[in-house]
Amino acid sequence: MAGPLAPTWTPETTNEERSDLDRPWVTIVWNDPVNLMTYVTFVLQELFGYDEPTATTLMLQVHHEGKAIVSSGPRERMEHDTSRLHAYGLWASFQRDS
Amino acid sequence: MKPFRTARGGDVVGRLEPAEAGIVGLLLDQLEQLLEADAEDVGGDPVIARLLPDGHRGDAELAADYRELTEASLRGGKADDLAMVRATLPDGGGEVRLDADQAAAWLRTSNDLRLALGTRLDITDDTEPPEEITGEVDQQLAVYYWLTALQGSLVDALVAGRGGRS
Repeated sequence: MAGPLAPTWTPETTNEERSDLDRPWVTIVWNDPVNLMTYVTFVLQELFGYDEPTATTLMLQVHHEGKAIVSSGPRERMEHDTSRLHAYGLWASFQRDS
Repeated sequence: MKPFRTARGGDVVGRLEPAEAGIVGLLLDQLEQLLEADAEDVGGDPVIARLLPDGHRGDAELAADYRELTEASLRGGKADDLAMVRATLPDGGGEVRLDADQAAAWLRTSNDLRLALGTRLDITDDTEPPEEITGEVDQQLAVYYWLTALQGSLVDALVAGRGGRS
């Protein structure tokens, strides 16, 4: 990128650091044998505003594959999303995207 | 039990038999005691671990930070929900009529009751309702599946109500 606004100095960043900083955080819902499928779909719609087909797809992914990523973004927001899911009893955790 | 249905005006309405209301009342008391117990007394209890789970798997420091940040409000929300369910539970059975906030409290609390019972009973995907009640475990399983039907009807009624709103 050249032009009047292009930086004349770039801090040295190793590729490893950059990829670490660029990797977003994610919120994951894990499968459990108690939560009803209809309930999980309902909660995903309520909390994240997903339409019914999207929420159902995520719920089925949780059910069949054991987990699904339901949101991604900065760590603080993923902690918040995890706590909202915990309030509804879904089995959720946040982590750096792998 | 008469399952929850959407009523005119957006409320959801169901009906509990006297014995059913009594069971829900007892379960609420037990859940409250468990949530109010000293951490020392219930540390390592799998039900507490399921109701107040770790936010991060694998990094103890991140999990501890998360717990410090969120556990008080998670516990407070559960206590508020529990109080709202108790306030709308008909003493001796009868109609249960819930507005949106009350229905959300019933939804979360009935889920917590199922999580607590399901964890105690070691429910798996293959667990089946008992065909006949021959012991205490069968009784608890029957209560678990009764709660499942109650919560399922509440979800269905709320989904139906949402369809009507949009």
